[in-house]
Amino acid sequence: MADGIPTWEEVAREHGRFLYNVAYRLAGNDDDAQDLVQEALLRVRGGLERYQPGSLRGWLARIVTNVFLDEVRRRRRRPTDALPDDPGRVLPPAPAADETPTSFSDEVQRALDSLPEEFRVPVVLCDVADLSYDQIAAATGAPIGTVRSRIHRGRRMMRAALVAQGVTGP
Amino acid sequence: VSPEPTEDLLSAYLDGELEPAERVAVEARLTASPEWRAVLEEIRAARAALRGAPAREAPPGFWDDVLHTGPGASRSVPATVRPARGRTPWLAAGAAAAAVLVAVAFVPKEQRVKPDVAAVSAQHGAQLSDAGDPIGALAQMARPVRFR
Repeated sequence: MADGIPTWEEVAREHGRFLYNVAYRLAGNDDDAQDLVQEALLRVRGGLERYQPGSLRGWLARIVTNVFLDEVRRRRRRPTDALPDDPGRVLPPAPAADETPTSFSDEVQRALDSLPEEFRVPVVLCDVADLSYDQIAAATGAPIGTVRSRIHRGRRMMRAALVAQGVTGP
Repeated sequence: VSPEPTEDLLSAYLDGELEPAERVAVEARLTASPEWRAVLEEIRAARAALRGAPAREAPPGFWDDVLHTGPGASRSVPATVRPARGRTPWLAAGAAAAAVLVAVAFVPKEQRVKPDVAAVSAQHGAQLSDAGDPIGALAQMARPVRFR
């Protein structure tokens, strides 16, 4: 690391788990999460010289969010590529009682997947990436009041989706 | 006089993102309103569920591949053009498109199939007996193939 600026390999080694978890929570599956992480690391590698030492995780979360939103827009232009937030998308059904039970993490992810991305993104940036509202506003380009409102509405929708799956506790 | 706090301040309240005056207003409303307290518990539960969910780990070997070959090297094309997994690979789709273009470029405008199917069809159809001839009936259905 020179002048406080990490190499992309250092970013991958030290913050890869963080990056992957955020990507997975946004995308909802491992295949897309891997692609998002790789594309994000490409942008990290290309943009490190512009990185201002500060909140590296905030910067990484912003990059992976931009990659995700770019992909959302690309797939909207190609309607054959279903998106997690497509109105017509049928969510994977909850497993039957005689199937292997899903983990709590799966239930949380299913609830998260049910949120339109304009709510999912700020919720993930707040509760997974642990960004401040100011950082989320900077990452998404939304005013702080919009960030507040979307996090709140997103959490309410998520709670309703969890209850619909029978998850009543935290 | 401070405006009435709106319900969406409750998440910011939980996250410690309110100004002191807003916080006081929200706490006063919470004291007075059972509905607000119920909503607060809802969003507290959702927040705890997501924050408490274990971090998702990348599949085994993923990071070794990325660090060994560089980001993007294990992907067929960049995300901006790559279809989602499980769909037609980009290279295969490109090859198929190229094959179609080549085929269109080299296909003759006029049919050059020998024997001339249209002529045979017309001739055989003309010889079809009134009693019916299954093969002849099939021949009648034959039409010249036209390429666009």
